Amino acid sequence: MERKIERYCVPGTVEEAVEAIAGKDATLFAGGTDLMVQTRSGKRPFTPLLVNISRIAGLGGISTDGDRVRLGALATISGIRTSALLKEKAGVLTEAADSFAGDQVRNKATVGGNICNASPAGDMIVPLLLLDAEVELASTAGRRMLPLCNFFTGPGKTRRERNELLTAIYFPIPPVGFAAGFRKFGTRPAMDISIVSVGVAATRDDAGWKNVRAAFGAVAPTPIRGTRTEAAIEKGGTAGEIARIAESEVSPISDVRASAWYRKELIRTLTERLHHDVFET
Amino acid sequence: MTGLIGKRVPKLDAPKKTTGETRYLQDIELPGMLHGKILRSDRVHARIVRIDTDEAKALPGVHAVITAKDTPGVPLGHGKDNTPLKGDKVRCIRDEIAAVAAESEEIAEEALRLIRVEYEDLPAIFSPADALKEGAPVIHGKHPDNIPFRFDYAHGDVDAGKEESDIVIEDTFTLHFVTHCCMGVSGVIADFDSSGNLTLHSLTQIPFLFKKDISPVIGVPPGKIRVIQPVIGGGFGSKLDIYPFEPICVFLARAAKRPVRIVFTREEEFVASPTRQPVELTLASGVKKDGTLTFRDVRTLHDNGGYTSWGATTPFVIMQTISSLYRVPHCRYHTTVVYTNNPYSGSFRGYGNLQATFAVESHMDRLAEAVGMDPLAFRLHNAQEPGETTLQGMNFDTCGLRECLETASAKSGFLEKRRAYRSKQAGPVRRGIGIASLLHVGGGAKIYRTDGCGTILKLDDFGHATVMTGSTDIGQGSETVIAQFVAEELGIPISAINVVNNDSEITPWDVGVHASRTTFIAGNSALRAAKKAKDKLLAAAAKKADLSADGLDLRDGHVVDAATGKPIVELGKLIRSLHFTQRSDIVMTTEYYEPPSVMQDREFKGNVSASYAFGTQVVELEVDTETGIVRILKVTAAHDVGRVINQLGIEGQVEGGVVMGIGYATTEHLVVEEGVVKNPSFRDYKLVTAPETPEIDSTFIETIDPEGPAGAKGIGEAPAICISAAIVNAIHNATGVRFTELPLTPERVLRRLKEERE
Ligand SMILES: Cc1cc2nc3c(=O)[nH]c(=O)nc-3n(C[C@H](O)[C@H](O)[C@H](O)COP(=O)(O)OP(=O)(O)OC[C@H]3O[C@@H](n4cnc5c(N)ncnc54)[C@H](O)[C@@H]3O)c2cc1C
Repeated sequence: MERKIERYCVPGTVEEAVEAIAGKDATLFAGGTDLMVQTRSGKRPFTPLLVNISRIAGLGGISTDGDRVRLGALATISGIRTSALLKEKAGVLTEAADSFAGDQVRNKATVGGNICNASPAGDMIVPLLLLDAEVELASTAGRRMLPLCNFFTGPGKTRRERNELLTAIYFPIPPVGFAAGFRKFGTRPAMDISIVSVGVAATRDDAGWKNVRAAFGAVAPTPIRGTRTEAAIEKGGTAGEIARIAESEVSPISDVRASAWYRKELIRTLTERLHHDVFET
Repeated sequence: MTGLIGKRVPKLDAPKKTTGETRYLQDIELPGMLHGKILRSDRVHARIVRIDTDEAKALPGVHAVITAKDTPGVPLGHGKDNTPLKGDKVRCIRDEIAAVAAESEEIAEEALRLIRVEYEDLPAIFSPADALKEGAPVIHGKHPDNIPFRFDYAHGDVDAGKEESDIVIEDTFTLHFVTHCCMGVSGVIADFDSSGNLTLHSLTQIPFLFKKDISPVIGVPPGKIRVIQPVIGGGFGSKLDIYPFEPICVFLARAAKRPVRIVFTREEEFVASPTRQPVELTLASGVKKDGTLTFRDVRTLHDNGGYTSWGATTPFVIMQTISSLYRVPHCRYHTTVVYTNNPYSGSFRGYGNLQATFAVESHMDRLAEAVGMDPLAFRLHNAQEPGETTLQGMNFDTCGLRECLETASAKSGFLEKRRAYRSKQAGPVRRGIGIASLLHVGGGAKIYRTDGCGTILKLDDFGHATVMTGSTDIGQGSETVIAQFVAEELGIPISAINVVNNDSEITPWDVGVHASRTTFIAGNSALRAAKKAKDKLLAAAAKKADLSADGLDLRDGHVVDAATGKPIVELGKLIRSLHFTQRSDIVMTTEYYEPPSVMQDREFKGNVSASYAFGTQVVELEVDTETGIVRILKVTAAHDVGRVINQLGIEGQVEGGVVMGIGYATTEHLVVEEGVVKNPSFRDYKLVTAPETPEIDSTFIETIDPEGPAGAKGIGEAPAICISAAIVNAIHNATGVRFTELPLTPERVLRRLKEERE
């Protein structure tokens, strides 16, 4: 096992961090709840430079910033789960955090880690896609923003450059009339990887549901938006019709956790149930 | 009498375990100890062409690298068809090829990566049916037909039984691979002294048979082997055999001239520890119109995997349930055990009975329905009475089956709910309720010529007792129960008792922890040793006080007047007065308890256990017919336990067993594809977790067994046995669909429900 860590550094600021990783193949450690499992199993060996980013000042926090909400990259899943701000403005994140792992993992796991790990089953990603989130990336060259829906390129793969640090996630404060929901399906109620997950969101005005968003987890190489499902909801189709469109829009694989057939079945059932709960009641 | 029997007595080891004070094998560091690692095959069936260990040997920090050619190759395991290290060919994925002892686990792992093995793949077999085909690859040359064992049992005349039947049904039940998932993984430390004496720090459940079994494999006489058992983090039957890693550790210690410890990784535990026996079981059952059972005719095919451990012998227990759970006049049973290139099975709590009871109790519901009786009335109609001897020769001196059935159904509202849930239910989520019962040995099982257990009891000068028992505590709480028996008998508090149960140099012989026998056998042994000590103490006190011993008793640390409770002499004082005199004596007694059971004859008949345990469990559940999720809401259990000794302990046994049984039925599945374990982690091997654990309501039926210690029977395995049948019966009640294959994963349930709908 190439466990040979040659240098370990613990930057205190974003500047120090981006300086440390510039031009290097660094391993970034936030909560470590993905990293430790992956390095131990040999799936993803440590690189010679290990950078512990968990002490960087100002990299955490959940706050409003003008008309946007800012989640610091180090915001923990527990922090998200108990945030009064999010509960009020974006309860769908609270809901997702609540079905995430168990207390010990939630206390350590960060939202930045969940996004950068880029698992198709990452449970914070689907709700953040519903909220039109953007990620902020920092390097010695400065900062840039990228829409979350363009961030992922494959399982474990993102558009983040090796010398970049994810610093924060931003999303517009949802307007009045906004409604959203998230359902994760594992074979047990806690401590399970999503076999599939589904989220829907929209804003109600006099004419009906506008700005519809639908997103799915664990049914494609990355978490995805369901644009045809969105269109069908906007048009006001029945829950059954919408669910069938959702099913046709995903292309899951079969693995040891579930077959592609079962994942499609679940997408249909959960979308139908979610449509009922979010848009019909 | 301190009135301890039947009370809620916390396990004596609980404070240490919960505070982290307990030292497990992983915590033991002997001076100079090295770390052993095993290179396992990544092929399922292949000839070994060449093994090159040169690079591994050259790695700094490596002290020994061994392969088959460095070892005597004496066969081991229950079937003696395995060797510690494989030199010629590998037969399943876990096979041990080479081993390393090094200064750290990391170095040992690194060394394993430097070992080159060249294989030549052989055609492989992954299903028992394929193993029986003409021209199938041969896995062991000694068995060209791939059949190492067959088992046949019969009573009555099945053909006559078929004639008498008004209704005959037949189904094939398919039972899967699961594994024990002990929280403490497998491991051992081997430590030689300069005289060639070997100390094994071993997690075995059978310390005395272990010495005998490992001795020829490692070439050390049993008299030079000492087995010390550190605290064992769960056994459930998995530690009932010896496995290759144990002699391998000894060979490494011998080669390195240093103590060596091998501890499995969790992944290794999934891949290389035994499984529950997978079974394909075809059951035909018959019944008369009046609801009387006529016959059972059973054929099973057992996937033995690449080698033989105890899994192969599960037919002993399977046939007990087939022949004697309810009255069946005619019975025929056949098992064919076949080699494949899959993992191999060992003993596992219930020992074949989960598989058998799943089939039998599924059929009890189907037969009841066929004759138009409710499942409870049908079972009661066929249930045995106390005093009956079954046609397999088991004497049910006590038998609480009827009370179990009546209690569990009354407390759960079984009949009313069953009727209510049968009528059409609205919405996708349907409720159901199901019932099933069980029979299991409750007074040991005489599979060796002795089924006994020894005790040495020693009282010190202060009235404290040390109980040296041959029986092992693997977490089931036997230490506490044994202390209760002795405390009760000697009239001293439980805190005045120390149980020593983990050192073969000190403790007297015992068969091992299996067959739910420890409370019954080791309990009787300890109780009798304590009675002997009590007799001695009372006789001495009587002599000194010039009274009759009959009128005396031991209470609260004193010899007392039995009638009035008036203290006569303090226990420590009495013992000291015996000890510090001219004709001095100490109070130490021994007992070897042998239960009045017999070995089965060649036809598998005879009273193999001194007592039998019964139980009924009712399950109420919900099926989400759109996702296939089965949610267990409530389990109502009634068990004939003879007598409750430790209320807290027995509730724990039932709850643990129920949860294990629910896992077997619904979530646990060791996925083996083409011989390869696909989910060797707790992420993908789904144990039941706390939120899925239903409310469990346990009632204990006290039939006061005349042979049992204070009337008790064994309960260790029973609670896990019948719940999968109760679950499929409940799903049938909820949905009208009957499942014959486990586990009932949401995907399997949904697929079947959809097929039925279409
Ligand atoms: C028992 C258990 C249960 C789990 N349950 C769930 C669950 O229910 N749902 C779920 O989605 N996940 C689950 N996970 C996975 C994991 O906890 C989450 O993905 C978590 O959010 C990862 O965050 P972390 O801070 O621990 O990341 P780390 O492990 O520290 O990092 C993950 C990856 O992201 C990179 N990284 C982290 N932060 C940054 C940053 N700011 N900038 C750039 N790169 C960064 C790291 O280099 C690494 O590659 C579970 C894990 C365990 C062990």
